[in-house]
Amino acid sequence: MDIERFGEQGIRIIFGQAIDDATHESVRRFFLYTSSLRIPGITEIIPSFRSCLISYDRERVGFEDLSELLGEMEDDWREMSLPDVRRMEIPVRYGGDYGPDMDFVCSYSGLSPEDVVEIHAGATYRVYALGFMPGFPYLGPLDRRIYVPRQETPVLKVPQGSVGIAQLQTGIYPFESPAGWRVIGRTMVRLFDHLNPPFSLLNFGDIVRFVRA
Amino acid sequence: MIEVLSPGFLSIIVDRGRQGHGHIGVPSSRELDRHASAIARYLVDIPEDAALLEVMGNDLRLRVLRDMSFAVTGAKVKATLDDEPLRPWAAVRAKEGSILRVAEVLEGLRYYIAFSGIIDVEPVMGSSTTNLECNFGGFHGRPLMKGDMVALRDIREPAGLQTVPETMIPSMREPHLVRVIAGPEADNFVPRSVRFLANRKETVLFNATSRLNRTGIRLEGEPLRFRDEAERSIISEGLLPGTIQVPPDGYPIITLAERTIGGYARLATVADADMDMLAQIRPRDRVVLSSIDINEAERLWRAGRDALSFYCKKQ
Repeated sequence: MDIERFGEQGIRIIFGQAIDDATHESVRRFFLYTSSLRIPGITEIIPSFRSCLISYDRERVGFEDLSELLGEMEDDWREMSLPDVRRMEIPVRYGGDYGPDMDFVCSYSGLSPEDVVEIHAGATYRVYALGFMPGFPYLGPLDRRIYVPRQETPVLKVPQGSVGIAQLQTGIYPFESPAGWRVIGRTMVRLFDHLNPPFSLLNFGDIVRFVRA
Repeated sequence: MIEVLSPGFLSIIVDRGRQGHGHIGVPSSRELDRHASAIARYLVDIPEDAALLEVMGNDLRLRVLRDMSFAVTGAKVKATLDDEPLRPWAAVRAKEGSILRVAEVLEGLRYYIAFSGIIDVEPVMGSSTTNLECNFGGFHGRPLMKGDMVALRDIREPAGLQTVPETMIPSMREPHLVRVIAGPEADNFVPRSVRFLANRKETVLFNATSRLNRTGIRLEGEPLRFRDEAERSIISEGLLPGTIQVPPDGYPIITLAERTIGGYARLATVADADMDMLAQIRPRDRVVLSSIDINEAERLWRAGRDALSFYCKKQ
């Protein structure tokens, strides 16, 4: 675990260099443990693939004190028992109007639409981070057989619920938005509801499976 | 009650922002010019977490439907109350039926209007600020439109000083000097291309493009060059307002208040003392980047905070 200062009110806690299960598990432990403590002065804890970014209010706590405290807690979170991961199923309609980039994915991979769906829906994915938009899950790892590059120029608008793939990740757009990923399907499940806590359908660390609808 | 007769280019309700939901990707969406916002609140004597309007563009017209005071701060504007010129950065009394007009923005980009009452909107996730991309918070999750009626409660006469000294009114004139602290991926760039990070005396000039909104400001100029062996993108990770990201094309983007995660190399972070000025950068303005260390950044922040706290005592 490395602790680095990030700007004037940020601390990066880095758990590994690559995307792998051990790194993810450390991030998850640290995130759950630190969040549960409600440490005064911490304003955000943003977990992602290999790190947590903590922002804090410097009127309430200083970098030195906070980084020392976080360093001292390492034994505690490494030993804590983790809650079971939640498993979620997301129904998806693939291809056609729902997946305008299916043709591109097929020609890039040399696979049939049927194969692409089989591969995409045949695996389970971890929520490695939530961001870009509220409730947008960065899911991985994606099967290398359906690797595609991002759009060179983002598409101006994709509908709410669009399911995209890019490089070795897949994700779901919770709102109509510009998109840089290749859209292969759509879900009608609502990923984010600003009126109802806990607001986001998915949590960091959940396991997701897509099912054909 | 305030009636919107003309919303300018973009008028939204903002406050100090949404906090504590970064782990599910919810950005702060906070007021971009915190200094101008804090002074506007101080002038009309409302709490420091109260909501106000953040406006861009000419020809904003609002009809005030009750006696109240208001203050206009932020960008330098030509404003009138019932056709009489009014003084910005000061509390102004308006009678029921008066019309506040901001005819023109002269310098800067965003101006703020606070009223001597509480803007009555339903908080979403603990804040009244507007998330424009996802359409929640503020006024039904959207910009104000002609004909909208914005409700105010607890309207009262402001107490205390109703002006601030000239020294509290920042210049909005370009070029904008933006001081930065080196970021986690600063080493991904060819040293010659980011000399300004190593040498205090060096600066680098960019221009703001028209691709500029509450999410970020895209700059153009001499593109920054990545080292041959450096990755062009990173494993997506957390961002803070002021993080300067550099996409593979080498043109920096200054992150503002609508993103929590990014996948581009993080060259630097804007010093907190210069964050408010970012709200005032217009398309084509010159933006000069120079670097400072974290201690200098803290010193600048403390000086700004102390100056502000002298005039803006907590209510």
